[in-house]
Amino acid sequence: MKKKLLSLLLCTSMLATLAAGCGSKTKEADKPKEGEPTTLTMWLPPLDEDTEGNFKKLLAGWEKENNCTVEMEIIPWGSYEERWSTGVAGGETPDIGYMYVEMYPTYISSGLVTDLSDMVEEEDYKEYLFLDRGEMMGGLYGVPIVTGVPFVLYYNQDILDSIGEKAPETWEDFARICEKATKDTDGDGKIDQYGYAVGLNSGSMSNLYVLNSYMYSLLWQAGGDIYTDDLKEVAFNGKAGVEALEFFKSLQPYMPENAMSLSGQDAFSTVFAEGKAAFGVTRSSASNETTFAKDYPNLKNWDYVTSLKHKEYGTFGAADCLSVMSTSKQPELALDLIKYITGPEFMTEYHKVAPGAPLTASEEYVGDPKMERIVTEDRDKWRPLQAGPCGSEILENYAAHIQAVMEGKQDVKAALDESASYANDLLKEYYAENE
Amino acid sequence: MKKKKGLSVLAPYLYIAPIAMILLTFVAGSLILAIYFSFTKYNIITPAQFNGLFNYQRLFRDSKLHLCIINTLKIAAIIVPFEIVSSTLFAILISSRKDTVLGKIAKAALFVPVLSSSAVIGTVWNTILNGGHPAVKAIFGVFGIDPTLLLGSSKTAFIAVAFIIVWKGMGYYMVITLASLTSISDTFYEAAKVDGATKWDCLTKITLPLLKPTIIMNIFLSTISAMQVFDMVYTMTGGGPSMSTTTLSMYAYQLTFKGNKAGYAMAVSNVLMLIVLIIVLFQQRFIKHENSEI
Repeated sequence: MKKKLLSLLLCTSMLATLAAGCGSKTKEADKPKEGEPTTLTMWLPPLDEDTEGNFKKLLAGWEKENNCTVEMEIIPWGSYEERWSTGVAGGETPDIGYMYVEMYPTYISSGLVTDLSDMVEEEDYKEYLFLDRGEMMGGLYGVPIVTGVPFVLYYNQDILDSIGEKAPETWEDFARICEKATKDTDGDGKIDQYGYAVGLNSGSMSNLYVLNSYMYSLLWQAGGDIYTDDLKEVAFNGKAGVEALEFFKSLQPYMPENAMSLSGQDAFSTVFAEGKAAFGVTRSSASNETTFAKDYPNLKNWDYVTSLKHKEYGTFGAADCLSVMSTSKQPELALDLIKYITGPEFMTEYHKVAPGAPLTASEEYVGDPKMERIVTEDRDKWRPLQAGPCGSEILENYAAHIQAVMEGKQDVKAALDESASYANDLLKEYYAENE
Repeated sequence: MKKKKGLSVLAPYLYIAPIAMILLTFVAGSLILAIYFSFTKYNIITPAQFNGLFNYQRLFRDSKLHLCIINTLKIAAIIVPFEIVSSTLFAILISSRKDTVLGKIAKAALFVPVLSSSAVIGTVWNTILNGGHPAVKAIFGVFGIDPTLLLGSSKTAFIAVAFIIVWKGMGYYMVITLASLTSISDTFYEAAKVDGATKWDCLTKITLPLLKPTIIMNIFLSTISAMQVFDMVYTMTGGGPSMSTTTLSMYAYQLTFKGNKAGYAMAVSNVLMLIVLIIVLFQQRFIKHENSEI
């Protein structure tokens, strides 16, 4: 009898626990009265080895001054968008969110991001150097926090010296050097030095990495873009898009044979960084001189070209922003916090532990001197993506078609037209539902 | 006395209540929600709007979906036979040496991949195949294969992924078969020996016929699992090259979290559920039939 009672008691307590788990969260607090202690929540991905620790240390003064506690949730990159979607679906939205361009269209059209246009001053545009890059879909929806680290073309100076070449400036230079650099250096009859270290496998990373690394730059340099200016259709299958992809395809003989199997990062680290290719692409960082010396000890003599020029300059540089969510009860305070975080006092200290481009006119550059020209003389050679509707779907499909071309399954024009047709159908449906 | 009677009546319900609640919430509940949302326009972020049969009509004109169904079937067509044949063979081999050190080591070694995380296995195999290590190249070279090219071609990527899934899952079915083998009485083999049966006769006329219900169950379990392949593909190829390894589960995931089309993704998931349901019903009827024959 005792055993029976005990097991019944256990079952009842399990039921009670389950029922408690189904309960809803406590009701969100209303707007706090002046003088009362407040809390702001912020969601962001890991931006360095200890983002929460580093941020907390630098936010102590602001928290005290504003009688406000900043609660941070650091979400891994791999599940970042999923956490946002499921969080919002569950009625859980932060006051401030770190977002990248591909995320914005859905959240803006759902009315979840606050337009900051009327909340910032004219002086802010002078002080916050990249504020214009938070402008999208007719409003100012974010203040850039991570920018100035575009994907650039690294080159191996020793290989270029050995073939009597200088750093490339144009597509013609680049193709010529790639051709000359691709050779069998040890005489065993196999190519062991390549022109261009490219990796097109998207395993463990998004397909978009293929576009970030290799395609946007060529598309923009050819004078094209993803969308038309009114964002109603895609433009990547136009003359410039075809020229860009044809040029990329023409470089295939100078890429490693397993370019389709390698990921972009692996191509850089195992081919270019091992001295087996003249060129490689990866995201630049203000500390690359330091990090390359540590991570790639075999890569001694390297430099970079921010962007080649064909018709124009252009390469992809993200402008990830902090945004005020429209569900925030304290939007002014949230914007004040964002301005503090991206401002000189915070960033001068933060960039000492996680080097990055200065975000404000008052902040000094503290990264490797070699990388500084990206944010000074080359500042106009890189830019973020257009924020357009159905972004991820369109771009993933575009990347898949680029893979098909590189695999030889489709020719350039047919692949781009097929991808554009899919994209335009999505856009037509989007505008039919939203206008 | 009355009180005791009341408790006795209630007790069975209370015993099953926790698991029933979990099943109702997370299995029946999510199933009902998936059916409900498949009739809506839903992006997870904003409230769902009823849109009738729109998502189901879309299933018929979605060429990507058709490609994903073909990819899933192609991968399953490799996984199921290889998983079943290899697990059965290993189970029989290990069973005949179950008391030796080698047998015990082999059993543990074949089961370790089952316990490992798919994400880790995918990443490790990616490195093995793409690493260009001379030893790996030499092993694959025996079969005339360059391992560094396997994941980069639409023709070979799904085969490579399928075989790695076979390698990972085989141990699970092997353990089920091993358990079934222990239930076969030694008297059958002793009697056969007396009648002069060879080892081959014992295998084909005693072991395999008596393993039939287990093999059938393994086939169906393996088919259901193969239809739901996701994590290994996600880590090894990301669904590429050019969507050649994008499975139904992966497509539903992409629609939900990349395309913000959770409503349509639920319709896709329901198609997958329907396929699995048909397999399960078929399995039940088949097993019943086989059991009645035995």
